[in-house]
Amino acid sequence: MFKARMKFAKEGRAKYISHLDLMHAMQRSMARCEMPLWFTEGFNQHAYVSVALPLSTGYSGEWELLDFNLLSESVPVNAVEALNAVFPEGLRAIEIYPLSDGGMPLRDIAWSKYRVTWSFADGVPEGFVQEVSELFSRDTVEIVKRSKRGEKLVNMRDFLTEVHLTTEGDQVIVEAITAAGNNNMSPEYLTRAVEQYLPQYTIQGAAYHRMCVYNEKMQAFR
Amino acid sequence: MLHSALEQILPRVQKPARYVGGEWGSVTKDKNNIDLRFAFCFPDVYEVGMSHLGSRILYGLLNDQKNIWCERVFAPWIDMEAEMRQASIPLYGLESGDPLSDFDIIAFTLQYELSFTNILNMLDLGGVPVLAKDRTSLKNLVVAGGPCAYNPEPLCDFIDLFMIGDGEEIMLDLTNLYLRARREGMTKQEFLIEAAQIQGMYVPSLYEASYNEDGTIREYTPKSGAPAFVQKRIVQDLDTMYYPEYFVVPSTDIVFDRAMIELFRGCPRGCRFCQAGHTYRPLRRKSKETLMRQAEAVLKNSGYEEISLSSLSTSDYGELGELTECMLDYCEPRHISLSLPSLRADSFSSELMQRVQKVRKSGLTFACEAGTQRLRDVINKNITEDDVLHACEIAFKGGWNNVKLYFMMGLPTETSEDLDGISEICKKVAYCWRVNTDNRQRGVKITASASCFVPKPQTPFQWDAQNSLEMLRGKQDYMKVIMKTKNVTYNWHDAQTSVMEGVIARGDRRQGQAIYTAWKNGCKFDGWDQCFSYEKWMEAFAACGLDPTFYACRQRPLDEVFPWDHIGCGTTKEHLKREWIRSREAAITADCMKQCSGCGSNRLLEGGKCCV
Repeated sequence: MFKARMKFAKEGRAKYISHLDLMHAMQRSMARCEMPLWFTEGFNQHAYVSVALPLSTGYSGEWELLDFNLLSESVPVNAVEALNAVFPEGLRAIEIYPLSDGGMPLRDIAWSKYRVTWSFADGVPEGFVQEVSELFSRDTVEIVKRSKRGEKLVNMRDFLTEVHLTTEGDQVIVEAITAAGNNNMSPEYLTRAVEQYLPQYTIQGAAYHRMCVYNEKMQAFR
Repeated sequence: MLHSALEQILPRVQKPARYVGGEWGSVTKDKNNIDLRFAFCFPDVYEVGMSHLGSRILYGLLNDQKNIWCERVFAPWIDMEAEMRQASIPLYGLESGDPLSDFDIIAFTLQYELSFTNILNMLDLGGVPVLAKDRTSLKNLVVAGGPCAYNPEPLCDFIDLFMIGDGEEIMLDLTNLYLRARREGMTKQEFLIEAAQIQGMYVPSLYEASYNEDGTIREYTPKSGAPAFVQKRIVQDLDTMYYPEYFVVPSTDIVFDRAMIELFRGCPRGCRFCQAGHTYRPLRRKSKETLMRQAEAVLKNSGYEEISLSSLSTSDYGELGELTECMLDYCEPRHISLSLPSLRADSFSSELMQRVQKVRKSGLTFACEAGTQRLRDVINKNITEDDVLHACEIAFKGGWNNVKLYFMMGLPTETSEDLDGISEICKKVAYCWRVNTDNRQRGVKITASASCFVPKPQTPFQWDAQNSLEMLRGKQDYMKVIMKTKNVTYNWHDAQTSVMEGVIARGDRRQGQAIYTAWKNGCKFDGWDQCFSYEKWMEAFAACGLDPTFYACRQRPLDEVFPWDHIGCGTTKEHLKREWIRSREAAITADCMKQCSGCGSNRLLEGGKCCV
């Protein structure tokens, strides 16, 4: 038995699969393509799978990670293709590798890169991009952050590195690197900050997509 | 791709995965290359509808036809419906996202009476006129089938055509006729007149109902050559019948989230309260070989970790021992567990128990139905208290500590002695655990549930008065007082929904107006406690000048003409009448395996001989 990791994408209709349901979907997909999974023993035997840094329901991502244990000597040939042939729409395996092949410990996850798409009913308001860019280049952007330990007033800038805005038709695309892991900050706070500090603008819809995950040294997480 | 308007509202609703489709096994076709678009509608939420085996079979069957694309449609929950109406998003097929009004045939499965208002609501939300008379073209033909079609009358105003009996063959008769009708340019009326000539198809608009002064039915008069009696359809041979090799595997949790195979259709027992037991006759089995082949296929193609061997009375499958043995050979190395619902307490063995708990242990449920032997004889349940205690003894000795007991209250001829009997059995089961468990520290959970009996059409109790709301509530209060045994949890269900179910179950076509009014006044999801409003229903009936107690609480004379008398379920009315008379004498009738009771359903079989 050895530990393996899959990098996968969760997009389109699969965005709406919740974390718990995603694990079931993974277990069943693996059963369909007869992946030699290791099962837990005991009262409720089940295929052991674990999703690192689960996405919020409704978010998409292309750097998602699933850890599991395989009973075979090595990753079966064509494992990626076999799995993609049996996945529900919107799930896509990208790479499957043994953890021994450069896999980093999950606790090293430190940053996520998100693409946030803001849409507007009547086109992007004039001055919006500039004002938002200015907002996120201030030294302090205070916001109430909720966590398991309760609400706390924090400076968003501590949880945020780059913020890039571009306009595409009626949409503004934000690419931002936000804290992940222990100090996780949801990219939703970017939208909230705009609503709080620039209330003259109404963002009609916001879509969130995770592009990449990094460790403390800003190396793409593997 | 999902529509962007839908994407806007999905983040705001509970469990959005129910509304997006794209699951493994869902079928997508190019709509420009098909002849017929079929909407298979389940008038309840996704989690309930997706659990239904019949829908899984028919979805596979229809999509196996190259020229037909069948999609699934479920009722959106309250929050989703509000968002959809606000954003003007019509109800859509999960596969294509296209509005319901784009479909040629819109079919509803009728599983329980309290889902009827959802049918109206779904049509309305899909942009389809709710009343059959307002749909004048062949497009958007609204059809229905399923258990409640054995008394289709309350839905006559809304449904163009009912399919009675097994769906596997009649469904394709329907689509074939529909395609021909369109080729030949038939009007809707011409199509319906022709459809009524096919066995099992009931076109309510071709029948005129007349009434006696007391409000009961005088007679039904067929028009345009429609038959006076519509006998149901059956599939002759289950071994050669279509069965899907794949299921849609939901990407979100549903009520029965497992693979299923159907051991047999029909039931050899003649429990007098049971509608399924009388309407699915005659009994037809699948061979062990067919079942093994189908089980392997659905498990392999679904990836499910559990398979249920389903039927109305699983322990009556003759080769159950061999079948479970073979199944385990396949399932155990793959960590797939077996579940056997509908086991009878009188045939529960330790071997069987060991097999079902081999991979994962689940709960055990025994249906006692009534508290005394006398009442169990009245309903022809034919199990004894000893059977129940013996089954529990095996279970407790085998290390089980979770047993459910199921009862009904409000059965015909019931007295307080019968209610005391329920409490007595529970006490004995609790004692049985204490004596037989090897570990008292672990504790035990015995759950006793008592539901309110609803007399159903096409059963021997169709003549009986249902207990009134006051009577049922009185009995529930009494039960709460006497069910005080330690380790026994007593569950009951509010009687109002059962009363309403009883009113509609034996309703006639005049109720259509009341159902319409109730829906207009906001009734939907009536089977859900948080949505059900008894007051609104009562107001709707009053507004239409109808008395609910006329339908539910009236003891009918044996010679009364029923609104469903012209619909055949295989079992004859004479047999039901005989069984009603025997019930008053608490005389039991042997099951079909022991002796034929002459129910008449064998006449539907080629050769006229049952194989039990």
